[in-house]
Amino acid sequence: MLMIGAAVALTVGVREIEPHEYMEALWHYDPFDPAHVTIVHIRLPRFLAAIVVGAALGIAGLVMQALSRNPLADPGILGVNAGAAFALVLGTALMSQADQTVLTLLAFPGAAVASIVVFALGGGLKGDAGPVRLTLAGAAVNAFLLSSVTAVVLVQQETFEVKRYWVAGSLSDAAYRPLTAMAVVIGLATMLAFAIAPSIETLSLGTDLARGLGMRPGYVQAGALTVVTLATGAAVSVAGPIAFLGLLAPHLATRVLQNSKDRSLRFRMVMAAALGAFILMVADVLGRLIMAPEEVRAGVVVALVGGPVFVWIARSLKPGATA
Amino acid sequence: MAPIRDKNSEFTRRKFSLCCGAACLAAPYVSANGRWIEVEHAWGTLRLNQPAERVVSIGYTTQDALLAMGVVPLAVRHWFGENPNSIWPWALKTLGQTEPVVITGEVSIEMIADLAPDLIVAIGSGIARAEYEILVQIAPVLMHASDEPVFGSPWQADTRRIGQALGKDGHAEKLVSDVEAKFLSARSRHPDWQGATAVAAWQNGSVTGAFLGQDKRAQFLTQLGFVPPEKLRDVTARQGFYATLSPEDLSPLDADLLLWTSSLGGSSDIARLPMRRTLNAHRQGREVFADTDVSAALSFGSVLSLPFALDRLEADFNAALDGRPGTIVASAASAGLTP
Repeated sequence: MLMIGAAVALTVGVREIEPHEYMEALWHYDPFDPAHVTIVHIRLPRFLAAIVVGAALGIAGLVMQALSRNPLADPGILGVNAGAAFALVLGTALMSQADQTVLTLLAFPGAAVASIVVFALGGGLKGDAGPVRLTLAGAAVNAFLLSSVTAVVLVQQETFEVKRYWVAGSLSDAAYRPLTAMAVVIGLATMLAFAIAPSIETLSLGTDLARGLGMRPGYVQAGALTVVTLATGAAVSVAGPIAFLGLLAPHLATRVLQNSKDRSLRFRMVMAAALGAFILMVADVLGRLIMAPEEVRAGVVVALVGGPVFVWIARSLKPGATA
Repeated sequence: MAPIRDKNSEFTRRKFSLCCGAACLAAPYVSANGRWIEVEHAWGTLRLNQPAERVVSIGYTTQDALLAMGVVPLAVRHWFGENPNSIWPWALKTLGQTEPVVITGEVSIEMIADLAPDLIVAIGSGIARAEYEILVQIAPVLMHASDEPVFGSPWQADTRRIGQALGKDGHAEKLVSDVEAKFLSARSRHPDWQGATAVAAWQNGSVTGAFLGQDKRAQFLTQLGFVPPEKLRDVTARQGFYATLSPEDLSPLDADLLLWTSSLGGSSDIARLPMRRTLNAHRQGREVFADTDVSAALSFGSVLSLPFALDRLEADFNAALDGRPGTIVASAASAGLTP
């Protein structure tokens, strides 16, 4: 499935490229040939970004849902998107310029600080980051940050240019974002996620029971939230906010694995990562084609598709179900 | 004449009602005396007993026409940029020592009433009908003509209307014909510009686009005798004045002259674009970069900013059009865009 996605993402686009040009682009790169430039500087970074961001959001979504026992949880509720947006808009306002490289360096710290604040407000520092408190804290911080963004934009209208490109994420800037650095961060987050996956499963039995089994809920919660923060923050830095992906991928993963023998969290993580990457790749390609030559941002396509799917999921959930 | 107040002055309700009352009382007296100046506009007719002296400019670019005719507005509408008093370099010497109040964001009706103007110029200001109805009780308001779009009225028409309202019709006419003559003489100095293709492009993050049709930047090029390239004419225009291009195919920008405009001054996003290097326009050194001031002058497209832009760009256009990468185009070089 990923192979199909890869083939599609790399070959479909506005410019028609002959198959042999792909090999040429890789071995004998010519910076003056538009086909080579398209392959190396446009499609390849977007493809890699789709894998990295899609996987990150898939895993983050799954961990978020498992930890908060809330099947409608999306990593964005921790305030990462709003935090990144606020950091960017404030940076533009203070520095009076919109140079992409400088700005994208602000996204990750902004996202990280926002989720730390949410974690702290949600009681995490005392070791009791209950799902309800966390969600409430996330909602409050989100509201605050988003209204701050609006405040800055109203005062300095030039920042609107930055803000409007940040409302829905896109992979089109992938070549300019710190992709490798973020890929490393996401890699670390994934390893951590795999490490604590069994503990999260135990935690879903209930905090008291988990404590009885010899686990330290506080550490696991902190670990899980670190995973979500790192993964989502990195994803936001590379692609901007992509709504619904963190929500969809885990659910689709569960459905796909419904009849398989291995339903452990680890396996579901792999599936969620793969599905997240695939959905994002397809969304990016669709975005390139729908209104060619103009591009529709991948975040918009995911939201358009994700909205109805989200409704379908919500309707098919039984009350009290955790997955 | 009452002094121009700075924007931090306190404003009391009493003053406002006093002003309103005075205006209401004065209005029948003024019109009974006969109309001296009448200008028809989209939402009614402007009537002035005598040429206006205290003028508030709430259009985004109308301060230029006022300053060109020697009238310093009491208040100026801020559009963008970091300039003191929101007055750009091309209008600075007409400003002298005065410091107009700067209106940012939505128009503050109290602030305008506090300034007690004779005339409010609101061409290209985007005010709603409801705001107009209130403002017209403070002072006569000048809007665009009914057959012109809100934000796209030609600069010649704007200058003439403002000149009419100031009672300086002759002065306005001279300003317009001076600028038009300047463009004509530029055309005659450079016959090779006639029929050459040129395009004004922009880069916003990773999105590249071009200006077309009635847009001021596209019109600037057309006024100098350039034509848009074939491929660009095929690209559908969004809202009539700009088009976004696919990052994989920038060939519509491949013209004899490629003018890059910038909104926040930076050229690094343009310099970094790998696809740009595949264009013939780049490899033959046909690119010109309009920095913050020049880009703003093109966006304003006013009677003062257009000659300013032409002065700054003429030499670069010449250097770019010979098609030899060896001839350095000054603005492109400083922006890091040369091949």
